[in-house]
Amino acid sequence: MPSPASPRQQPRTRFGRSGLDAGPLLAVLGGGLVGSAARAGIGHYLPAASGAFPVATLVVNLTGSFLLGYYLARREQAATARWSVQFWAIGMLGSFTTFSAFSFDVFHLLEAKRPLLAGGYVAASIVGGLVLALAGQRLGSSIR
Amino acid sequence: MTLLIATLAGALGALCRYLLSGVVQERTQSDLPLGTLTVNLAGAFLLGIVGGTDNAQSAATLASVGFLGGFTTFSTWMIETIRLGIPPLRSRSLANLALTLLAGIALAAAGYSLAN
Repeated sequence: MPSPASPRQQPRTRFGRSGLDAGPLLAVLGGGLVGSAARAGIGHYLPAASGAFPVATLVVNLTGSFLLGYYLARREQAATARWSVQFWAIGMLGSFTTFSAFSFDVFHLLEAKRPLLAGGYVAASIVGGLVLALAGQRLGSSIR
Repeated sequence: MTLLIATLAGALGALCRYLLSGVVQERTQSDLPLGTLTVNLAGAFLLGIVGGTDNAQSAATLASVGFLGGFTTFSTWMIETIRLGIPPLRSRSLANLALTLLAGIALAAAGYSLAN
């Protein structure tokens, strides 16, 4: 039999009986503003010519993967504020990194008949993303 | 102005991602994280359409690209893949990586040709 939830416990689903809870939605929106502004800013300062290597997207995706690994590992070690995951992980780092631009970049490079550049971009993004996410996790869990 | 439009649209995209991926995740049973897969593939297809449409510098294009940037996520894809296991060693992890990658590129291409 499930134990009754204490009043201080967070609801397990995002849709309670009273409908949508504004708290997590505002946290995602706020984090999304910060993450999107940072991504747009980096894109502004590292513009890629058409058919060239998409440096800005690679930079945000690799940095964001590292930071998300770090954040999630830190969260296992220390208490976080209410809606912290919604703000940092889902809102900010979720929108700082982007999959749509990544896949369009790859398609665009293939269409521009630059398969080696496309392959290098995919490898750098995915191998780099996985390795950096793991490194972030390791760093986050090594700090006490 | 450009940065403002991209920022606001991106935040709205993040909110839509949170809601849609949450609904998909709650209503499906799978070994793969289908919520993230859904938003990423939908976003790749839609960006293909935007990229295939002519007016490259318009405010609508800027807002769409910003929205889809926030709607899709690369970092969550990486973390969820790792949670399934280290990719070459675990088939589910490799499946999440390969399926998202290949379907994303294919859908971006499909959206692009549809718009052209």
